[in-house]
Amino acid sequence: MTKTTMTKSKKRAGFPSPDLVRAVLKGHSGLGLAFAALLYLVCLTGATAVFANEFYRWENPGVERMESLSADAAQLAYREAIARTEGAAEHVLILMPSEDRPWPSVRVTAEDGTQTNWIVDSAGRITGTLRESWTHFITRLHINLHLPQSWGILIVGLSGVALVSSLISGLLAHPRIFRDAFHLRVGGSRRLQEADLHNRLGVWALPFHVTISLTGALLGLSTIIIGAVGLAVFQGDTAKVYAIFTPPHPVEDTRPAPPIDLQPLFARVAERAPEGRISHVIVEHPTEQGASARFDVESSTSRIANSDTYAFDRAGTIYYEQQAAKNNMGQQILGSLGQLHFGWFGGGLVKIAYALLGLGLTYLAAGGVNIWLARRRDKGRPAPGWERIWAATVWGQPLALTGTALVALFTPAPIALIWTWAAVSLAALGTAAVWSPSALSQIGRAGTGTLLMALALAHPVVVGTGDSMALIIDGALGLIGFGLLAISVTWRRSRTAGVQTV
Amino acid sequence: MSDAAFLGVTAAIAAGSLAGTWSLRRAWRLKGSKGRSRWKGLALLGATLLWPASVLGEARGPFIAVTLMSVVALGLVASSYTIRPARARRAGREGLAPEPAKRAPSAWRTALRWALAGPIGMVAAMGLGTGYAVWAPGEIQTRLLIGGLIVPLAWGSAMAWTLADSRILRATAVLVGTAIIGFGAAMLKGLT
Repeated sequence: MTKTTMTKSKKRAGFPSPDLVRAVLKGHSGLGLAFAALLYLVCLTGATAVFANEFYRWENPGVERMESLSADAAQLAYREAIARTEGAAEHVLILMPSEDRPWPSVRVTAEDGTQTNWIVDSAGRITGTLRESWTHFITRLHINLHLPQSWGILIVGLSGVALVSSLISGLLAHPRIFRDAFHLRVGGSRRLQEADLHNRLGVWALPFHVTISLTGALLGLSTIIIGAVGLAVFQGDTAKVYAIFTPPHPVEDTRPAPPIDLQPLFARVAERAPEGRISHVIVEHPTEQGASARFDVESSTSRIANSDTYAFDRAGTIYYEQQAAKNNMGQQILGSLGQLHFGWFGGGLVKIAYALLGLGLTYLAAGGVNIWLARRRDKGRPAPGWERIWAATVWGQPLALTGTALVALFTPAPIALIWTWAAVSLAALGTAAVWSPSALSQIGRAGTGTLLMALALAHPVVVGTGDSMALIIDGALGLIGFGLLAISVTWRRSRTAGVQTV
Repeated sequence: MSDAAFLGVTAAIAAGSLAGTWSLRRAWRLKGSKGRSRWKGLALLGATLLWPASVLGEARGPFIAVTLMSVVALGLVASSYTIRPARARRAGREGLAPEPAKRAPSAWRTALRWALAGPIGMVAAMGLGTGYAVWAPGEIQTRLLIGGLIVPLAWGSAMAWTLADSRILRATAVLVGTAIIGFGAAMLKGLT
């Protein structure tokens, strides 16, 4: 270790040696600081996005709920959605009712790329457009930070790699991993308290962290990985790599035609998979001679990726068929990535567990910086500016996200939500110039709590109460808001009474 | 599987996780002869991880188990927190984990270190992943997916290593060499 001031141990040390630990800790600290804000935002939005389907229901409580939709109704809805589209329809996605989202919807992508998501009743009549602005906002913030798709996904994928790296270096930099396995000491030194929380969360939830970071990094980097493979072995033709995983397309024929008839195709699928439940249908170029329809059917296997696929051309001929039970390991991994990443593979209990562990990961990102700041203060080199900026970042985001949810009650315009989020985030950072870290934390906590309670009260009044899931979410938001407000008030009282808190 | 049966299975997973973690904590608290409780705890956690595979699915079961296990373990850790008195503040500071290493500041070394952790590490990891996808045995989709998973793992490892290692020229040589060998081997054979 040249050009370092680290001391070399005279004794023969076990693995990892003190010098290695100190060197790895240096890298862990640098990487964590470089990515802290991004990781915090991605983890916070990810923990929320676990409940994306529940938020869809929260945004649409008045929609008629059902267990299934008949082929006749699906056909009627699909035709009506195409008829309402200006210009030719490029793609149609029919989402059938499911346990998580107990109503169907039809999304049409027009030639110019505009998308309309229609809600359908059990008779197949279109009853309006889907309210999805907040769910869309939170999921896209997690997936691509609302940046141009390819760049945003790449940056989020990079944060996944940084998380993988932090997990590796965090483990190597933790020589007392077993000795401290159950230590959680609160109070006393702030640095020790934060380090205990950081290490216990990091170690006991390690399998979750590895799963999230690896799947997230792979999903985020997939475009450049496919690009690299295409460049190395297919002379840059990435379509050949995609073709290994995706169903082939029927022969292109752009001559106009009436919308492809789905009714007989539903019947063919029912013959082939009588026990299966159609989860969605994707129709490509429905009003061209070269139209095709792909049915994804949930099979009875207990695999995480349990979708059978049947693809038909306009003549009703099956040109592609893939059974989940016959998937090889690669196809299973591919089909499981999204579900493992978002916790959509084990019902409500796993979703709640994912949200809790996701919040733990969010705290891990925030706590890492807290440790660094506390260490600087302990060493007599405090960084008050960074302390304020970090407090504003940590508490500005819950405030901004809650603010966007409130705005979404009154407008379906996605851009209004993005502006609200940006404005609140910037305003929070701006207040860092004025307020102390403790004031920022208290105001952020109290503000988020108040807004959450306001949201829980306003939502049923403005949007309605037709779905029990919406009421559950309102109740949960109200409780979280009340909890934050109570903590904030208690903290203020203890400060007023002169009690030192951490 | 019915909802009630599923709830029963998850309750059993939670119970197994609690029993396993409890045993490990007991071993951790004991002054001597920790072995029995430790092995009991590890065996319980191992069994809780494996048996759901036969009930909930070979991948789904263990993933549900490991998720619930983490929550239960953290709950147990949180339930046994201790409060340190304020006077322990100074002593606490002194008894902390090791400090990060200090390095002499050097702009070019810092720039090279981050280049190694970033783009160079990425290219090396991609070379490794592509090389695996081309040369490993098995179905093409499996090779590509495992190759794809190798990329963030190798890149993350390269980041951890290059940000820690002071011998950055050695790291440069290894990463550049890995990239050349990985991509070279892939181009040599092609994907079949």
